[in-house]
Amino acid sequence: MKVSCLQENLARGLSIVGRAVGARTTLPVLSNVLVATDDSRLKLSATNLELGINCWVGAKVEQDGAITVPARLFTELVNSLPPDRIDMELQTRTQTLNLRCGRFEASIKGIDAQEFPIVSAGEDGRAVSVEAETLRDMIAQVTLAAATDESRPVLTGVLTAITPTGITMAAADGYRLSVRSTGLTVPPEAQARVIIPARALQELARISADEQEPIKIIISPSRSQAFFRLSNIDLVTQLIEGTFPDYEKIIPRSRTTRTVLNVGEFLKAVRLAALFARDSNNVLRLKVEPAGDLAPGRVVVSATSSEVGSNVSELEATIEGEPIEIAFNARFLADVLGVLDAAEVALDTIAPTSPGVLTPVGGESFLHVIMPMHLNR
Amino acid sequence: MSPPPSVSCTPAGDHVWEAAVEKPAMEAPRRTIIHVDLDAFFASVEELLDPAITGKPIIVGGDPQGRGVVSSASYAARAFGVRSAMPMSMALHLCPQAIVRRGHYREYGRYSRQVMAILREYTPLVEQISIDEAFLDVTGCERLWGHAEGLARTIQQRILEGCHLPCSVGVATSKLVAKIASGLRKPRGLVIVPPGEEAAFLAPLPVEDLWGVGEVAARRLHDLGLHTIGALAAIPKEALILAFGNQGATLYDHARGIDNRPVALEGRRRSVSNERTFARDLTDGEELQKHLLALCDQVAARLRSLGLQGRIVGLKLRYHDFTTVTRRATIDRPTDLSPTILQQARSLLHATWRTGTPVRLLGVSVSGLVEGPARQLGLFGDDDGRWMRLSRALDDIRNRYGEQAIRRATFLEPPGEDEGPEDTSPEL
Repeated sequence: MKVSCLQENLARGLSIVGRAVGARTTLPVLSNVLVATDDSRLKLSATNLELGINCWVGAKVEQDGAITVPARLFTELVNSLPPDRIDMELQTRTQTLNLRCGRFEASIKGIDAQEFPIVSAGEDGRAVSVEAETLRDMIAQVTLAAATDESRPVLTGVLTAITPTGITMAAADGYRLSVRSTGLTVPPEAQARVIIPARALQELARISADEQEPIKIIISPSRSQAFFRLSNIDLVTQLIEGTFPDYEKIIPRSRTTRTVLNVGEFLKAVRLAALFARDSNNVLRLKVEPAGDLAPGRVVVSATSSEVGSNVSELEATIEGEPIEIAFNARFLADVLGVLDAAEVALDTIAPTSPGVLTPVGGESFLHVIMPMHLNR
Repeated sequence: MSPPPSVSCTPAGDHVWEAAVEKPAMEAPRRTIIHVDLDAFFASVEELLDPAITGKPIIVGGDPQGRGVVSSASYAARAFGVRSAMPMSMALHLCPQAIVRRGHYREYGRYSRQVMAILREYTPLVEQISIDEAFLDVTGCERLWGHAEGLARTIQQRILEGCHLPCSVGVATSKLVAKIASGLRKPRGLVIVPPGEEAAFLAPLPVEDLWGVGEVAARRLHDLGLHTIGALAAIPKEALILAFGNQGATLYDHARGIDNRPVALEGRRRSVSNERTFARDLTDGEELQKHLLALCDQVAARLRSLGLQGRIVGLKLRYHDFTTVTRRATIDRPTDLSPTILQQARSLLHATWRTGTPVRLLGVSVSGLVEGPARQLGLFGDDDGRWMRLSRALDDIRNRYGEQAIRRATFLEPPGEDEGPEDTSPEL
């Protein structure tokens, strides 16, 4: 193998595949990154067997070939090099990659590319396409509700349903639920209902930050893997097996109070209260007071800690229905308000121990359910 | 400000301990610590609630018919040999005429809060270590309240006049010595150990009086012919470390009255823990599991009584050769429920314990504490809520009728010598 490319392209490519490199793996080749020529491009590939990423960078290929080299060493080396041309040449006999950039030279001992698992990318024929920006928004709005602890593996995933009308993603960690859907311009060839690890989707959002083209989503016919194809990147993830809870049942179908608030103001008040709620289990209290004959409707946001003190904010709100006092986890509220793509949010409540529902005003495609906190004693 | 008058308010039993020893040079800045311990607290409150029984033998405790134990006995009852933690049946055998009360725990809490409020008038540095005991750090308060002896007397008098409760007070340069001092001349005692005289003060006392010397350690010390703290203090540090590991270094310091632990502020508690040293090393996994369950139950109950919840569960294992391993796991939400704590502690034990290796000590802790009692409700059913209600009910029953009044079926076998964990101690 003999190939040349620009330092900044190689560095960017390595940072994209880097998160898929196996950590603490028993298979040494998984902590390596595959460097291979592919037509007139350089293909970088990393996988931990759960998640795999391929990334192609522009290069000048003089001689085809492939090798795997330790990902961490290689990445740190490339990041430290000047923004210049890098020439790489593989010594096949010793499986050593020689690298030259300006006046710097290095040789890295590798492992035979034959030992590296193939990170395959599926077939385009079954793909559905979603605008990159829409997909990123969906991921941000839904993955925040996915569980981070592994005690119920299905809850660390995002239920993704591809139907003739569109794609719906849902995640729930046992305390909150996020559901977001989007329409499809072209109906999908095949329907699917799978659980994609939230971590893989967050990785997808990260690596697609600059993507302009629509992203293709392909579910393998065996329902064991999902592929995401970007212009120069493939991401492959194993799917989570199991049954996702029937979330439709959790969504309340009625309300006794609807409170409409400005998202920015509400978020500011929640973040202030969160400072004081930190030591007291994140309890944030909302006191919803509908408009009277003279006074406009208002919401009092407060938090108290016996150690650090207390905080109260008052917000104007449009309130329909009964007054209510309800407590939520301040972090949960801040999470959802931070990803709402609207100027106003509607909070629907029934009782202090029943779930609250947040929806952006003027948007039907996102819904967030939060269980309140129960104040004993 | 002049020191407060002392003669008029001096209760019986005052004693300033003096010894003819040279003062060793002090290295750390000298502190003044006061330990306040209410005398026969529950029994004293019972007398207040029913003045007719004042001065009579009173026992507060569980059901005499069952396995109830004495939680508090008045001094009149103690004269018959009745002691705390003694089975009720034995206590009534020793003192058949005793007046038995099941305990008005809400009242005890009310009086306790009154006493603690009085203590906080003198310094914000008050560490309440149980319902009837607290440490005060009054270092540098002389200008404000006069010298420590006068302040100790004032506090004793204030509690007697304000709450009608007798207490004993110890004054020393450390928590360790102050606590031993307060226990020395009960009831209504006042013992002051002047700076530099800690070692001489401790020397004649039995080693069991030292903090951290439980049944097992005491037996080992006795086997070595060490019965008094003075004898222990004569042993070189290296020899104690050889025999007791890290604990040896602590023993060496404590035997000299050296204890640098600060008086911790209320609400600054960082963890709730409970550990148990076994009389014989355990090698059986099932036995360990049982002790683990008991420890988790105790830690959870303690969290609930303090109104705290924690997110980090810790496991401590000490093997027969004194090597000690601690492991911790974080859960996604704070808890004060035994099943949640147990689930983590079990997987930590599973991952940590080298199967079959003799275990000398097992401990469970919960840290990452937040103030309860708010509880996040679950989307999919509310198991925690059911556990919460069950745990509350168990707490109520145990408060009223004693620890043994209601037990898990797992613990129903005849109690062995290892049965049940020791009292919870705060880890600071």
